[in-house]
Amino acid sequence: MVAQIWTAIDPVTKPTTMPAIEESAVSGINRNLLHLEPGRIVGLVGHPGFGLTRVGLSLLAAQAGQSPIAYMDVRGWLCPVAAWESGVDPDQLVIVRCDDPVRWGRALTALLEGVGWIYAEVPRGVKEAQLRRIASLVRARRSSLILRPVQGDLPGGVAFLRLQAGEVEWEGTAAGHGRLTARSLSFTASGKATRGMTRQIDLEDNGTDTLRVVPGLAATPPGRAAG
Amino acid sequence: MWYPDWPLRRPDAPPDSPAQAVGEDNRVLAVNALAADAGISHGMRRGEAEATCPTVITIASDPAIEAVRFEPVAQAIEELIPAIELAAPGLVFAPVAGAVKYYGGEAALVDLVAKEIDRVTGPGFKIGLAAGPFAAQRAAELAAPVYIVEDDAAFLASLDVAALGSEELAATFRWLGITTLGALAELPRDALTTRFGPLGTQAHRLAHGLDRAPQNRVIPPDLDVEERFSPPLENLEQASFIARAMANRLVTGLRSHGAAPHRVEVTAEAADGTTRVRTWRNRDPFDEASLAERVRWQLNAWLDSARFRSGPGIRGGVVRLHIAPADVSDRGRQLALTQDARSVAEAERAFIQTQAIVGLDGVVQARPKGGRTPGERVAWYRWGEPPPEVADDAPWPGRIPDPTPTLVPAEAPILEVEWDGGMPTRVRLGSRWVEVVSWAGPWRDIGRWWEGVGPCDRYQLVTSAGAFLCEVRDGKTYLAGVYD
Repeated sequence: MVAQIWTAIDPVTKPTTMPAIEESAVSGINRNLLHLEPGRIVGLVGHPGFGLTRVGLSLLAAQAGQSPIAYMDVRGWLCPVAAWESGVDPDQLVIVRCDDPVRWGRALTALLEGVGWIYAEVPRGVKEAQLRRIASLVRARRSSLILRPVQGDLPGGVAFLRLQAGEVEWEGTAAGHGRLTARSLSFTASGKATRGMTRQIDLEDNGTDTLRVVPGLAATPPGRAAG
Repeated sequence: MWYPDWPLRRPDAPPDSPAQAVGEDNRVLAVNALAADAGISHGMRRGEAEATCPTVITIASDPAIEAVRFEPVAQAIEELIPAIELAAPGLVFAPVAGAVKYYGGEAALVDLVAKEIDRVTGPGFKIGLAAGPFAAQRAAELAAPVYIVEDDAAFLASLDVAALGSEELAATFRWLGITTLGALAELPRDALTTRFGPLGTQAHRLAHGLDRAPQNRVIPPDLDVEERFSPPLENLEQASFIARAMANRLVTGLRSHGAAPHRVEVTAEAADGTTRVRTWRNRDPFDEASLAERVRWQLNAWLDSARFRSGPGIRGGVVRLHIAPADVSDRGRQLALTQDARSVAEAERAFIQTQAIVGLDGVVQARPKGGRTPGERVAWYRWGEPPPEVADDAPWPGRIPDPTPTLVPAEAPILEVEWDGGMPTRVRLGSRWVEVVSWAGPWRDIGRWWEGVGPCDRYQLVTSAGAFLCEVRDGKTYLAGVYD
């Protein structure tokens, strides 16, 4: 099962240009690109291990407040403890387990009718047309949806902001000593939110309930148009 | 909330000399700061107080006028917390369970109340917050100006027996060597009742913080609603209409007793004599609309499944429909300040529909509980059902350190790891091998031999593709979590 997850996704492409230094210090996950907007989809693309679940949960925790958050768990792997550590209220987190692509679509449609904050893993076999219907429903209902395909990528244009996992570096461990304490994460952002350009975003995660955008590194290198 | 000097808050009270207010029993009800400094205290006899401080000016308390002057304060508190109780002019009790959640915590609520009454009357008030009125009043007496009791039992146990408010009883208890409410609470209630009668029982109840007798709401058992149909009911539109009418009757009947159902049992009898029963539960009490909706859904499901022969439904239409409240309470659920009832109802409707699609076990919530592994630290329960009562306050030495892996497989799959002299060197992720950059561990778990769970060693492996928690058991490595 693990092998399928890793082989299913293309290797992450490292950005080829060095980011420029930005003058203003940026702090807090709500700043710049990293926030959820009503009626928009954020797509998280990458292998498990690159911090995408943590980023998604932190985005939801930062903005959902006392509203219910639905997490569609395709593999049944989500550990709620990690969600609570990200700042999600245990009373507000509802986990929906469904791996069947047909029922997944129906369940997500039902959730979009009443739940404003949703993180949905996308199972294998979900058709592109189904995802586009969901995207239009998200716009109509003005919900905030995070889509995380467990295999492959999202069709172009579905996600308003697409975050592609880049690099992850952990601190705290050595050869048999210490323990995991903090990590730095790197993502490539693209989509309409970045106006067709690609941007690199670096985050620091020290395990508390907020992620910190690394100051001065969220910049706009020359990029290509994205769908 | 208590104003110790409320009887003295009147125009004829001297601001610059010692003053006291006395009640009809000639005991001191209130003193100002100067009189208190001179040694006069609440409950003292008038003569004794005047002997203690001969210059004290005595004012006769007039509760009627004091109550009128206190009304704006009561109204200000009632704007923030409903259903307050006035014990005396200057002394208010308020049930705060709902308000605490609404305003986001005890400290936030107390701060809000303090600001509001400070705006109305200025300083001089004291606020005590506890689980019961007796403890709250004692806390208010000790407050400066706010006292929030964290643990009622420990707080009461530390109080002197004089807190019971009876000099004679307190003196007797002291003579018997019982000086605190904690010592009193440890005595058998029967012994106190035998020795002191109802007074002893009441003292024992107060020492335990049980200062208010529980009053169970009596709800008559005959509030079920039933309809019979001839000819049998087969039309869904008719079903919707009938469901609404029956829900209205049931909810109205319960409302007259101040209660509402959290669970209802819907029973339908088919024309061929078959009876189907289904229970619906809601976290909030059912109102007319939500109950009618559930009944309509259920009838729809039964009639449809019979029509399309997809399951055991109601064949030939419904001849009798019965709705019984199965779990009635007078308690609702307090929403937070940032929540609104409509969006909460919409979300709940969405989750119910999702449950219908993925099954009851497919929509779940979790509560923190004690444990060493990430899986052990979660108590799962179905959405819509009451959360389990679990403890999360034990230290759990040997627990896997934070941060917790974000993804934890229910059944750990095998992870291919290359070892060199007991040290991990490479991990296979899909079709490629990735170097282990660093690692921590092993942390030994001795397992539970009595449950057939053997010992294992846990490692945190760090690669360029992320970090993983793995377990080595019986020579094999398993993936216990992904730090995603």
